[in-house]
Amino acid sequence: MKLETFSYLPQMSAGLLEQQIRSILDRNLVVGIEFTSAPDPRDHYWTMWKLPLFSVDDAGAVLAELEFCRRAHPDAYIKINGYDAVRQGQVVSFVAYQPERGP
Amino acid sequence: MFEAGVREYREIYWTPGFQPRETDVLAAFRLIPQPGVPPQEAAAAVAAESSTATWTTVWTDHLTTLDRYKARVYDLEPVPGRDNQYLAYIAYPLELFEEGSVTSMMASITGNVFGFKALRALRLEDLRIPVAYVKTFQGPPNGIQVERDKLNKYGRPLLGATLKPKLGLSARNYGRACFELLAGGLDFTKDDENITSQPFMRWGDRYEFVMEAVRKAEQETGERKGHYLNVTAPDCEQMLERAEFARQLGSPIIMHDFLVGGFAAHATLSRWCRRNGMLLHVHRALHAVMDRQKDHGIHFRVLAKWLRLAGGDHLHTGTVVGKLEGDRATTLGVVDLLRSDFIAADRSRGIYFDQEWASLPAVLPAASGGIHVWHMPALVDIFGDDSVLQFGGGSAGHPQGSRAGATANRVALEACVQARNEGRDLAAEGPRILEQAAKRSGELAAALDTWREIKFDFESVDTPDVMPA
Repeated sequence: MKLETFSYLPQMSAGLLEQQIRSILDRNLVVGIEFTSAPDPRDHYWTMWKLPLFSVDDAGAVLAELEFCRRAHPDAYIKINGYDAVRQGQVVSFVAYQPERGP
Repeated sequence: MFEAGVREYREIYWTPGFQPRETDVLAAFRLIPQPGVPPQEAAAAVAAESSTATWTTVWTDHLTTLDRYKARVYDLEPVPGRDNQYLAYIAYPLELFEEGSVTSMMASITGNVFGFKALRALRLEDLRIPVAYVKTFQGPPNGIQVERDKLNKYGRPLLGATLKPKLGLSARNYGRACFELLAGGLDFTKDDENITSQPFMRWGDRYEFVMEAVRKAEQETGERKGHYLNVTAPDCEQMLERAEFARQLGSPIIMHDFLVGGFAAHATLSRWCRRNGMLLHVHRALHAVMDRQKDHGIHFRVLAKWLRLAGGDHLHTGTVVGKLEGDRATTLGVVDLLRSDFIAADRSRGIYFDQEWASLPAVLPAASGGIHVWHMPALVDIFGDDSVLQFGGGSAGHPQGSRAGATANRVALEACVQARNEGRDLAAEGPRILEQAAKRSGELAAALDTWREIKFDFESVDTPDVMPA
């Protein structure tokens, strides 16, 4: 099974993930974290992990939230979204964590 | 009092210094007068014949107000470095055009004037559609953001491939070719424009086998997939019948050849797509007949603007790097006209007017034709995320077959996007990024070996004029 953007690449290390998160924040997008235990390409509404991180501009803080989410839901798939308020939609979204790939 | 006879066009239609109104449709024409015809007269003839005039005065001219309806040449400049070649700027009052009608604009502005004897050649370079007119069109049935939301694909260009050989496969084998590519990692496959409903593969059979392939690839990968089912047909009834069957089979997207089918048919289909939540991929067969020669015809940027008005979610624009014609600056100008909400005049990119779209949905440019995996860094760099990159031969030509070819392209794409987001320079580091990614992907390594030496280095025929600094 594949999970869209970056799912054809090896699992990113924390350092590489942080760079991707940094690039979202550098574009002034709002980062959001969502998770699910049953990914389905027609499911647009995974569970939100807290509200989108509106005031966060530190990639490390996003990584920490990702880790909190993973510990709370160890069997879940977790994705990171970048929301563009001007376009009124996500412009970045990728699955940062898949349980079968390990942390 | 009516005076019969022939008057020079410039007496009425040549109005240098006229301040065009915000609501005027503005046209920039490149024109070459016949020897002996003054450029002012030639330009005035274009304005006249594309608006109110005929070759002689007629008594019925006096039953109307010419000032209200006539087009005006408001500027004329010689083209630098070209003998007896001019750019004529013409303003058309909005009253001349029917609401929401590209065909109305075409019939007037690109009508009889192109065959006018006083001109050696004429080319419509650009058209400023005023916001007042834009708002009478609904444009793309979905637009870029809605397509991404529907298909759940973000932060990267979409990947497609045209099925090859373009003619002669049976419907079942065609579905196989489609399945292998989608299962390997592409988002879309595409009917070639030549494929409509020939005896070797009737459209209904093709749709059924292809949609089985799409559904199976979705199940196998867990990703949304689609095939651009070509609905271009001999007549509009059959076009809509095919579109309807595609919808019943659950296809998310259909395809139309807008110039071949014509703008009226295309606009009908675009409305149907909006009503039915269907994505519309637009092919552009015939365009090079109209737009390739620098001196005569209609520039593709005008055809692209008309398409954005009439509606389409994807439009082929050229690749810059592949086998087909397309100067880089010019192509990127067209890409901006399709994707942005406001595009500033920029002569170095062939854009003559500011264009405001007033939030008309945007069109994804599709880059297709002779591109392969080595082009990926340049394509991601040039087109950015909001594009469809189509690797037909560049997928099915892989030594291990279509599925491996598709995977190679997907791995290359994602590696390039990842590297770009990390701040690496794709133009400078492209080959290294691909070679690194190939260490973890046998499919990519084999693709890199196969197409290492293939280049298409020819000069473009259609380039912007070099403007004096």
